Amino acid sequence: MVKFTVEELRRIMDKKNNIRNMSVIAHVDHGKSTLTDSLVAAAGIIAQEVAGDVRMTDTRADEAERGITIKSTGISLFYEMTDESLKLYKGERDGNEYLINLIDSPGHVDFSSEVTAALRITDGALVVVDCIEGVCVQTETVLRQALGERIRPVLTVNKMDRCFLELQVEGEEAYQTFSRVIENANVIMATYEDTLLGDVQVYPEKGTVAFSAGLHGWAFTLSSFAKMYASKFGVDESKMMERLWGENFFDPATKKWTSKNTGSATCKRGFVQFCYEPIKQIIKTCMNDQKDKLWPMLQKLGVVMKADEKELMGKALMKRVMQTWLPASSALLEMMIFHLPSPSKAQRYRVENLYEGPLDDVYATAIRNCDPEGPLMLYVSKMIPASDKGRFFAFGRVFSGRVATGMKVRIMGPNYVPGQKKDLYVKSVQRTVIWMGKKQESVEDVPCGNTVAMVGLDQFITKNATLTNEKESDACPIRAMKFSVSPVVRVAVQCKVASDLPKLVEGLKRLAKSDPMVLCTMEESGEHIIAGAGELHLEICLKDLQEDFMGGAEIIVSPPVVSFRETVLEKSCRTVMSKSPNKHNRLYMEARPMEEGLAEAIDDGRIGPRDDPKVRSKILSEEFGWDKDLAKKIWCFGPETTGPNMVVDMCKGVQYLNEIKDSVVAGFQWASKEGALAEENMRGICFEVCDVVLHADAIHRGGGQVIPTARRVIYASQLTAKPRLLEPVYLVEIQAPENALGGIYGVLNQKRGHVFEEMQRPGTPLYNIKAYLPVIESFGFSSQLRAATSGQAFPQCVFDHWDMMGSDPLEAGSQASTLVQDIRKRKGLKEQMTPLSEFEDKL
Amino acid sequence: MGDIDAMYEIPRTAEFLRSRVYTRVALQFPDEMLKDAAAVARALRRELAGGGVKLFVMADTAYNSCCVDEVGASHIDAQCVVHYGHACMSPTSNLPAFFVFGKTPLDANACGRSLLQCTRESGKRILVLYGLEYAHALDDIKAVMAELHKSHSCTVEIQYADVLCSVMSPSSVAEKEHTQSNGTTPNDDLSVPIDGVATFVNNCCNVEGSTRKYSLGGLMWATSIDDNMEDYLLYWIGQDNSAFANVVLTFNKCEIVRYDTVANQPSRDVSHLMKILRRRYYLVEKAKDSNIIGILVGTLGVAGYLHIIEQMKDLIKAAGKKSYTLVMGRPNSAKLANFPECEVFVYVSCAQTALLDSKDFLAPVITPFEAVLSFSRGREWTGEYLLDFKDLIATDRPEVASKTDEARFSFIKGCYVEDNRLEGIAPALGFWNCLQQQ
Repeated sequence: MVKFTVEELRRIMDKKNNIRNMSVIAHVDHGKSTLTDSLVAAAGIIAQEVAGDVRMTDTRADEAERGITIKSTGISLFYEMTDESLKLYKGERDGNEYLINLIDSPGHVDFSSEVTAALRITDGALVVVDCIEGVCVQTETVLRQALGERIRPVLTVNKMDRCFLELQVEGEEAYQTFSRVIENANVIMATYEDTLLGDVQVYPEKGTVAFSAGLHGWAFTLSSFAKMYASKFGVDESKMMERLWGENFFDPATKKWTSKNTGSATCKRGFVQFCYEPIKQIIKTCMNDQKDKLWPMLQKLGVVMKADEKELMGKALMKRVMQTWLPASSALLEMMIFHLPSPSKAQRYRVENLYEGPLDDVYATAIRNCDPEGPLMLYVSKMIPASDKGRFFAFGRVFSGRVATGMKVRIMGPNYVPGQKKDLYVKSVQRTVIWMGKKQESVEDVPCGNTVAMVGLDQFITKNATLTNEKESDACPIRAMKFSVSPVVRVAVQCKVASDLPKLVEGLKRLAKSDPMVLCTMEESGEHIIAGAGELHLEICLKDLQEDFMGGAEIIVSPPVVSFRETVLEKSCRTVMSKSPNKHNRLYMEARPMEEGLAEAIDDGRIGPRDDPKVRSKILSEEFGWDKDLAKKIWCFGPETTGPNMVVDMCKGVQYLNEIKDSVVAGFQWASKEGALAEENMRGICFEVCDVVLHADAIHRGGGQVIPTARRVIYASQLTAKPRLLEPVYLVEIQAPENALGGIYGVLNQKRGHVFEEMQRPGTPLYNIKAYLPVIESFGFSSQLRAATSGQAFPQCVFDHWDMMGSDPLEAGSQASTLVQDIRKRKGLKEQMTPLSEFEDKL
Repeated sequence: MGDIDAMYEIPRTAEFLRSRVYTRVALQFPDEMLKDAAAVARALRRELAGGGVKLFVMADTAYNSCCVDEVGASHIDAQCVVHYGHACMSPTSNLPAFFVFGKTPLDANACGRSLLQCTRESGKRILVLYGLEYAHALDDIKAVMAELHKSHSCTVEIQYADVLCSVMSPSSVAEKEHTQSNGTTPNDDLSVPIDGVATFVNNCCNVEGSTRKYSLGGLMWATSIDDNMEDYLLYWIGQDNSAFANVVLTFNKCEIVRYDTVANQPSRDVSHLMKILRRRYYLVEKAKDSNIIGILVGTLGVAGYLHIIEQMKDLIKAAGKKSYTLVMGRPNSAKLANFPECEVFVYVSCAQTALLDSKDFLAPVITPFEAVLSFSRGREWTGEYLLDFKDLIATDRPEVASKTDEARFSFIKGCYVEDNRLEGIAPALGFWNCLQQQ
C-alpha cells in the first residue's frame, strides 16, 4: 500500500534541492494532526477514506484519548510531482521527486518545548489557523519561536468545512473572516522581521496561504483555482491568482472585472465568485444527495469518481468528492515545495543562528553550503522512546556531512566547552534509521539536509547534543535550543514500595530523556523531584513515568510545589559585620536590591561572568546607572556562578583583599543558593563588600576562616535589607465568549490573579483576556475555569516573571512568614528562621 | 559512697583489674560523668587497696567519648582502659577495655506492661533491644514479663538481646573478625541472598550452623536461619540517641517501637530518622558528582580503621578520583572549609558517630559505606544501610570498576555527566595544611 520504498526515499535524500523539512505548528485544537493525515494519506501510508480520522501522528494511546498531540512526531514522505504542477517552479530542482520530512507538533503551551525541538531541525513551518477562532495565543508563541529560529512560515486557514456546514457563512462574510485571520498572522510575522529571512508575511495571491478542511481532506490555494480559470479567461495563472483575492470583483452579467463592488446584484468578489461559491454549491449538492445534479457538475470540473464511490451518500459522498476534486495533499505539497526553502537554501541564512563557533571555519562553511562531503554536523533535538523498553532513538538533523551506520562520532553535550573534555564522548552509531509512518527503516547512511534517528547513542545523550566526526576536535557545538517555557512546577515522587527505588531511579532517567523540558533532580532532603512547565505537562510525565518507564510500579506523588526566590527591598539599614571563627578576621557588608531589569538582563545572558568587562561596564553604566569604575569591581555572580545576584567590591585600600576573594566568592555561591529566609535561591541582590579586617598571617585567614564568615555576613546583610519573597507568576491568556467573562473574572479574583488586558477579537464574539496569576494558585485553575464558564474558557499559562510579595517575612503572622515556615517545614529545616544575631557579630 | 560503688560498679571493676594484674589503668570518662571522676578513682583505689595499681583519669577525648581513647591511654602507657558511660562497643585495636555502662533507673513494671501491650497489637515476634545503660534492668523486665505472661495468656514469642561483653580484648576481636570473614561469603550480588546466607547489609550478622548471630552496638542476639529481621518487631528501651539511630537505620525495614524511659511510654515515631536516611541518599548522589575526596580520620582506636582507610583510598582511586587523607580531630565547618578543593569528605569513625551532617558544612560528609555506594559503578542505593565500617572490610575488596558503557546520570544536575575526569584539579594540598588546625 505504501507508495514508495526505502530505496526511493534514500535516493532522494541526496538531492538536497528536493527536500523540504517542515513542521506543522498551531494553537491547540486547530487541526494540525488531522491535516497532517491528509499528507500522510497521499503518500499512501494510510487510506484516503480514513484520512482525518486516524491522526496518524498521534501515536500514543493518551494522545488519541485526549485528542491532543503530546509529542512531536516525525514522518518522512515521498512524493512524485507532475511536470505540469512544477511548471511554474523557478527554484533549483532535480527531477520531480520530492522528499518531505514532516514533523507534527503539539499545540498546548505545556508542550511547547516539543515545538522548539521540532523547529530546530526543520526549515519551514506550516502554520495552521482555525478559520473561525483565528490567530490565538499559541499561534503567536509558535510563530515567534519559528521566526526566531529563522523558519519560513506558510499559512493554512483550516476547518473550512465549519463555514459551509456548521455556520453556513455567506461568501463575503467568509472572505472578511479569512482576510482578518491572515492579516492578524501577518501583523505578528511583521514584528519579527529579519533581513536575512526577507519578507515572511503570507499572501493568498502569492500562494503562501492555503484554505483547508483537514477533517475532510481537501484544501486549495488560489493557484488551484487560478489554473482552472486561467484558460477560460485567457489570462495567465499569476494574473488570475491576483484577481482571486483582495478588491477584485467580477460581474458575470457584464463579464467585467472591477476593483470596486459595482452594486449590481450579480457583482461579487473574485474569491467569492470563483472559489467560495463553487465549493459551497458542490458541498450542498452532495449533502442533499442530489446526485443527478452532481455528476454533470463534476464532469465539468474534470473530476472522475470510481463506481463504488458513486454509491456513497451524504457526508461520506461529500468527503470523497471534495478529496478527489481538491485533494489537500496536492495543494499543501505545492505550497510547501514552492514556498518553503530546501535545506541548501535555508542553511545559508540559518548557519548564523545555529553555529556557535566562528562563522568562517570549515564547519560553518559546510553547514552554509549544506555540503554532504563536508565534516559531519548533526544536532540531536530530542530522544524518542524505542519499542524495546528503555532504549531511545536520538532524533535530529544532519546539517552537513553524512552520518552512517557504524560510524564513530564525537558527542558534544550541552555543557561541552570547546577545547575541554567535559561532556564529550566518542561512540559509534549502531544504526541509522528513518521514519516511514509508524515504522522505522534502517538505511546505510543519511546525508545532510535530512532528519535522522540513530540507535546506540542514548546512553550518552540526556536530551540534546551536537555530533561530529570522531576526529573533528576543533568543531564548536551547535547552539542550544532556547525554550519559551520553563519548568516551574515541581512535584516530589517516591515509590510506594521501598524496594522499587531502583525502578524509580531508572524510570526518572528515562523520563528525563523522553521529554525536552522535564527536569528530574533531587532535593537536599533526598526526595526525587520532577519539574515541568505546567500541570498538564507534569500529569503526562508522571503517567509516562509510572506506566512506561517503571513498568507500572506504584508511586506516591506529592502535591505540586513551587519554588520561590529571596530578594531584598532596600539597602541594608546598616553595615553588618561578622567575625571569623578564630575572631581574627572581620568582614563588613551591605546588601541592596539590584536596579530594575538587571536581574532579567543577567537571566538573558546579556550580562554575565564571561562578558568583556568593558562591554559589561558600558551596559551597566548606560542602562542601569552604575558608576563606570564600580562596574569593573564585580567579583562574581551567583548562585552557580551565573545567577542574578552579585558581589561588588567597595573596599578602599585593603591589604590581602585579593587573597580572600576566592573564599568570599565560595561563601557567596553557597549563601545565594540557600537564602537566609527559607533556603530558596536569592534573586536580584547586590552584595557590597564595604570593608575587611584580616589577620596578618596567611594561615589565619584561610578558606576555613573566611568562607563560613562570608556566608554569615551575607545572610546578615540580607536580613537587614528588608528581605522579601518573590513568587513566580504565570501570564494567562484566555479566549472566551462575552457571557463567560463573569465566570473568568470570578475565578481569577479568587486565585489572586488580575486581568490587565481585555480585548474583543474583531469580527467575533470572542474576547481575549490576559492576566497574571501566581503559579502557586494555578493548580486546578483550568478545571475551575471550565466549571465556572461551562467549558467555554480554556487558559494557556506561561511563566512570565517573579513578583515580589508585599508582606514582610520577618513579621510574625504575615502571609510571607507563614509561607517561609511552610517551606522550611517541607525542607525539614527548623521552623523558625535563624535570627540575625546568629549571623552578625558585635565588635 | 555506696552510690558511687553501685553506680560505677566499683567492686566488679576492681575484681577485673585484680584478676588481670594490671598496674597502669586509664579511667575514661565522658563529659557528663566527669564530675564523679575523682570519687570513682578514689573508690576504686580504696577497693584495690593499693596493690601498686596506678589509676589515671582521662577526659575530653579527641573524637568521641563513646569510643575507647587508645591514643590517650598510650600516653600514659596504660595496660587497660576502663570506659565509663555510653559506649559504641567498637572493637579496640591495641588495648583491652573494660566497660562500665552506668545504671540508669528504669520502671520495669511500666515497661513490661507496655511491652505486653505491644505483643497484643502486633502479631510479629518481638525482639527486645535496649540502651546499654539499661542492661542492668533486663532481668527485672524479664521477671515482670514472666509474671504478666502467667496472668495474661500470650502466645507471642519475646526474645531479648544480650550484652555482648563488658570486657574487650583486642586479640579476641581479631579472632572474631577472622571467623566473620569466613562465615560470610563476600557477596557481590546485593539483592539476592544466595543460599540463605546473609545479604550485604546483614553482615553485622554471621551464620553459625542453623542460627544467625547478630551483633550491633554491643548487643547480640541470634535468630533462626530461616527468619529475616523483617519478621521481628524491634522493641527498643532507651533514649532516642545515636545507638537507637544505628538500630533504626540498619534495620530500616523493620517495625520499630521505642519505649521512652523518661516519659515512660512507647512511641512509634521514627520519621526523623527516616528523614535522615533519605538525606543520606541525597548525599550519596551528591558524592557521585565529586572528583576530589577528603578522607577524614575520625578515630585512632576502632579496630581496622587503617584497613578501611586504605580500602577507601583504593576505592576512590579505582573510581578515577583523587583522595587526600586528613586528620583534624572532630570536624567542624571551619576546619572543613580549609579544604575547599574537596567536594566530599568520607568520615571514618565508629558507627555511632558516623553520621555527621550540618548545614554549615561546605561539602557533605559521608560514611565509608556510602562511599562504597557512591564510588563503585553499578552499586545502587537499595535502602539497605550500614553504619559500622567493620562490616565493609572483607566484603568489599574494591572490585575492578565494572565497565558499564553508559554515562552516569546525575540526579543532582538532572543530566548525564562524565566521570573520571581529573582536569584542572587544584594543586596538591601542602603537608602543613593537612596538620590539625584549631
